[in-house]
Amino acid sequence: MILKLNEGVFNIEDVANLELSGDRQIELQIGPSHPGSGHMRIKVTLDGDIITRVDPDIGFVHRTSEWLSERREFIKAIPIVERIMLPDTVHANLSYILALEKILDIEPPPRAQYLRSLAAEINRITSHLYGIGIFGIFLGSSTVYMWAFGDREPFIDLMEALTGARITNSYIVPGGVRWEMPKGFKEKAESTLQYMEKRLNDYNDIWAKNPVVEARTINVGVISSLDAIKLGIVGPNLRASGVDFDTRKDSPYAAYSQLDFEIPKMENGDSYDRLLIRIEEIKQSMRIIRQILKDIPDGKIIADGIYSQLNPVMKKVYEQNQRAMFPAFFLNMRPPSGESTARVEAGRGEIFFYLNTDGNKYPNRFRWVTPSFRNLPFFTKVAVGHRLADLPTIYGSIDYFPPEADR
Amino acid sequence: MALLPLIIWLIEDLLYVIVFPGLVVIMIIVIFLIYLERKIAAKVQMRFGPLWVSKKIGGALQSIADLMRFSFQEFILPNGSDSLAFLMAPGLMFSFALLPLIFIPVGPYYTSLFPSGLTILFSIALITITPIYAIIVGWSSDNKFSFIGSLREAFLLISYEIPLLLSVVAMIIIYKTLDYLPAVAFQEVHSLPGIIINPIAALVFIIVAIRSTGRFPFDITEADSELVMGLFTEYSALFFGIGMATPYIELYIMSLIFSLLFLGGWWPISSHSAGLIGGLFLPGVAVIMKAFIVMAILVFLRSVYPRYRLDQAVRSGWDKIIYLSIIAVLVSIVEAIVI
Repeated sequence: MILKLNEGVFNIEDVANLELSGDRQIELQIGPSHPGSGHMRIKVTLDGDIITRVDPDIGFVHRTSEWLSERREFIKAIPIVERIMLPDTVHANLSYILALEKILDIEPPPRAQYLRSLAAEINRITSHLYGIGIFGIFLGSSTVYMWAFGDREPFIDLMEALTGARITNSYIVPGGVRWEMPKGFKEKAESTLQYMEKRLNDYNDIWAKNPVVEARTINVGVISSLDAIKLGIVGPNLRASGVDFDTRKDSPYAAYSQLDFEIPKMENGDSYDRLLIRIEEIKQSMRIIRQILKDIPDGKIIADGIYSQLNPVMKKVYEQNQRAMFPAFFLNMRPPSGESTARVEAGRGEIFFYLNTDGNKYPNRFRWVTPSFRNLPFFTKVAVGHRLADLPTIYGSIDYFPPEADR
Repeated sequence: MALLPLIIWLIEDLLYVIVFPGLVVIMIIVIFLIYLERKIAAKVQMRFGPLWVSKKIGGALQSIADLMRFSFQEFILPNGSDSLAFLMAPGLMFSFALLPLIFIPVGPYYTSLFPSGLTILFSIALITITPIYAIIVGWSSDNKFSFIGSLREAFLLISYEIPLLLSVVAMIIIYKTLDYLPAVAFQEVHSLPGIIINPIAALVFIIVAIRSTGRFPFDITEADSELVMGLFTEYSALFFGIGMATPYIELYIMSLIFSLLFLGGWWPISSHSAGLIGGLFLPGVAVIMKAFIVMAILVFLRSVYPRYRLDQAVRSGWDKIIYLSIIAVLVSIVEAIVI
């Protein structure tokens, strides 16, 4: 059977009807040790240059985050969930804390809600820059790779100023956040945002409007909105297909219900749209950060229930350094038995969190689904029918992060 | 008494082949070009580039350090490889990449080892041999990534060979010679570099030069996110170093030919100047400077463009570049008739 070329992409039906005789096809093992695989293996079957089958083999960096968390005190699970999605630590932290707070029945004060949104949006920008950088190097553009990782630095510095740590912040605790916004933070954040606005024009020139990038990504890895919903795609990848779905709008958490922002969405659902939507979301995140810096209310950064449990020394530290130390009850916390869920819109999509407690010091069941795992069907469904060189394009465009999927 | 001219002739030729503009100069240029490429890319990408080896001179010895590392690395012969081809092909590829140099003059005082009057023809013919060894490299490795890399090389070879020949033919029609010396003399007499006489041919030649030396955006055979290291996935040690240096040698050769055919050769140095300095050294410096500027522009493309897909590159070869090259030949024919 002879394949007909249709705008550079073959129909999945045509490929599926191919006679899969052994001589004609070769199987490539891309990964787990390959510059274009990340921490996973992608078994690719090729007919000539056309991909007929993709079998992503994940689990190489499975770190038993759920098992570990079920055998520790509740507060000690925060560093564990953070380390699963290192470019996106605040969202992992936040999703867990939201689920825990529902069981503990604590409501953080408004200022803490705003600070949570602030940290989350700074983190979303770093996460998207990370994704843009990896996409760049997958297409061969080392410049975009270096730029994106370099421009991630000012935002990581912001996080360091805000939380005391660059990546693994452990910023969000039950009932609030750990650190007050430092002096001079607003000016620093504003200058960082102005820098990034200038840089986004450069990204437009060398990345989004680059003729080679357009040739490589337009009409590559197309997924329709209906297919995207059927496959359970989340996050920017879903919105690039034209589905207006964002947890920040649909079930607001933190301070998002008081903030004014838009959810950018695209129409075609190809790799180019997934590239553009990340740049658009960076712009929206910057808009949100500006609003937060302007509108942030005064008040405590931890809930009154937690504050009253601080001992006098801790209260002194809180008043002087604007830093919330852990009261003793955090370590010996025995939440009432119950179950709760939380949804958080992370950089790559929605995190779903399920927590089940039975009145013990440790969680009874600790379960979470990360966005990268839900974006996995892209490999099996979308990459088939494309050329081998399109596999890195699709991989990079969905911003797939293997450690996040493996948990 | 008859011995003295012979000795002088020998020394001059040896100097010509080994020192200037021969192997020593090529090695220096390749090493410096790799350093320059990394520094240019680093400048664009907001970083330092090579720095820590010889910090006082900005890391200029980094390439030499890399070469030494390649020299003392362990060489691994894969079990399933066709060992004879595996061992021979990189060396042959490197040698054939260097070979066009004996036909390329860098000055009017030029004693060709094979005075033939066909130097353009020979040098272009030798350029087209190198990719065949690249295909053997990929085939002998017994690695699917190398194999796919060599197949890509073959596809690209077929689709870009004809435009290369046609763009040179376009200039031959104007210069009415198959030799570099009259070609440069033509440009000198008419005070017109070839790039103004036939810009389309120059454009085609530069695109093919980018393609055949694997610079971005045509870095398709070595696409690391797909094919690990392309042809040289299974190679290590000095063989790998040779494989990495070969495209730079090819780039140097292509840039030399470009500066001779399109940039007026050793202009503004006169073809009639004589002596070791005026006749050999200064024209050589002029040609190599021009070639070096061309090379620097071509390696700068790495900082701007990602890579094309194989089918896009092949399609543009058959769809656009070949028509451009035919147009270039037609332009040359018209110009030759009119002038």
